[in-house]
Amino acid sequence: MKQKAMIQKVGYAVFLVLFLFIMIAPMLYMISASFMSEADLNVIPPKLLPSAPSLANYARALVQQPILKYVYNSFVITIIAVAICITAGSMASYALTRTNIRFKTTFLVFVLAISLLPTITLINPIFKMYSKLGLLNTHIGLAVIISVLDLPMTIWFLTAVLKNVPISFEESAKLDGANMFQIFIYILVPLLKASIFSISILVFIGAWNRFLLSQVLNQYEDYRTVVVGLTLYQTTHTIPFGVVAAAGLITIFPLLAMVLLFQKNILGGIMEGGVKE
Amino acid sequence: MERKSTKAGYLMLFPSALLILILIVYPAVNTVYQSFFEIRTQTAALGPRFVGFGNYVKAFRDEHFWDTLWWTLIFTAVSVFLELIIGMGLALMMNRKIPGQGLIRTAVLIPWAIPTIVSGIVWTQFFSQNGVINSTLAAFNLIKEPLNWLGNEWLAKLSILIADVWKNTPYMSLLLLSGLLTIPKDYYEAAEIDGAGKIRCFISITLPLIKATMSVTVLFRIISAMRVYDLIVAMTAGGPAGRTETVSMYAINTYFTYGNTGYGATLSVLMLIISIAISMLFVDSLKTKGSV
Repeated sequence: MKQKAMIQKVGYAVFLVLFLFIMIAPMLYMISASFMSEADLNVIPPKLLPSAPSLANYARALVQQPILKYVYNSFVITIIAVAICITAGSMASYALTRTNIRFKTTFLVFVLAISLLPTITLINPIFKMYSKLGLLNTHIGLAVIISVLDLPMTIWFLTAVLKNVPISFEESAKLDGANMFQIFIYILVPLLKASIFSISILVFIGAWNRFLLSQVLNQYEDYRTVVVGLTLYQTTHTIPFGVVAAAGLITIFPLLAMVLLFQKNILGGIMEGGVKE
Repeated sequence: MERKSTKAGYLMLFPSALLILILIVYPAVNTVYQSFFEIRTQTAALGPRFVGFGNYVKAFRDEHFWDTLWWTLIFTAVSVFLELIIGMGLALMMNRKIPGQGLIRTAVLIPWAIPTIVSGIVWTQFFSQNGVINSTLAAFNLIKEPLNWLGNEWLAKLSILIADVWKNTPYMSLLLLSGLLTIPKDYYEAAEIDGAGKIRCFISITLPLIKATMSVTVLFRIISAMRVYDLIVAMTAGGPAGRTETVSMYAINTYFTYGNTGYGATLSVLMLIISIAISMLFVDSLKTKGSV
């Protein structure tokens, strides 16, 4: 019996290590390859570790494409998108849980339904509209459409959270003569800080990773996002994988930092709200 | 007071409603409208010409559309099925009190958080002629010559599916786990006292109680799998010879490479109709989600 328990334990440990390895292997390989020379990368069988680690790939990644500019664009667009999404989303959720407006359920179901729309059914009219309004190749234009696509998730998440916040705080504030906007800003926002933070991170990661819309709407180098910029390294086969890996790591660095720093918030956000592709 | 609060309520809903109206509803309606017209960028000066269901008839006769549609649907069915099975296994494991729990939960966030483009690029390297996959298979004597993973239609499709399962299973498992966590532990204790085994418990307690979470999760995964674009752009760009091109890629090319707006809209609307049809199958579970 004891032996069986032992075998189970070892089996589990092996499984655990293998599983963790599979989850992070592509990442590890990317890190390793980003320090490899071209010779290392072309060897058969492929090397797993660089023979003489160097930063040459990073230097080439910075020269080949203006990747730091792309990173900057991604940051600006993502932060505007998060701001719009959280502001509009928290206001809507407040209206949906704390006021007597009609069609609340209809609105929530409608919001859920629009998150099921394929992007291709939206993209061409948006392209035409943006082109008329001069919003193609701007930070704000791309940020707005990205924020709207993440709005359903935000509204659902914050509505669920608000439903669980007792209304008594607000009622006492109301007795003290606070109006609705004051209640919203001074009472609810501080109470919801943690939830708002979680959903902001989810929106941030989603916005940073948006590809199709960014590729179509912001084609100029000056406004290109980093995820789109990354694909341009591949266009010629003469560029070694090490350079692409280095650029890829630059692209995902903010995301990895967030996962490591805020994993609890992210897990909470996914598991509480959880309607996201 | 009541009326004032109602007015403020509409006011607070207004920004979201407006954004959705302008950037989601209007474009969707506009796409449906354009699908009945012949509109080409090259002949924009002539204006749109009404063709009724002409574009739809064209789509039904368009072999490449059927090819991309079948591949999109097969990709969706296979990837979501695998992700559900593996994701459920992972969720059941994460639901138990075991050492390494924190590590597992952090590790599953990595495939989820990194952009699809990046995972596509790395998997492309893994599947390349001299890549890690071929050399591992060769090391175990499973293949004599390196396989041309991304150059052969079926191997390319398999590679794409593997990369997708790696990327999306973790997220699926977290959503399923959130469902598992809502099941009270004493249900299992009671069942155990009655002599029910693990499999019996799973079928009679877990599955019925997690059904709502599971269907919502699966629906959203199906819809997002049907949109697949980034992954395939990064891995094969639709090749070899367009055999891994999806409907999304075909529609985007029709719009922006061939400048055939009307036909692109038709392809998009057909995709929309399929999405709606699939969503209808899940309407009951969406209702439970709506009553949260």
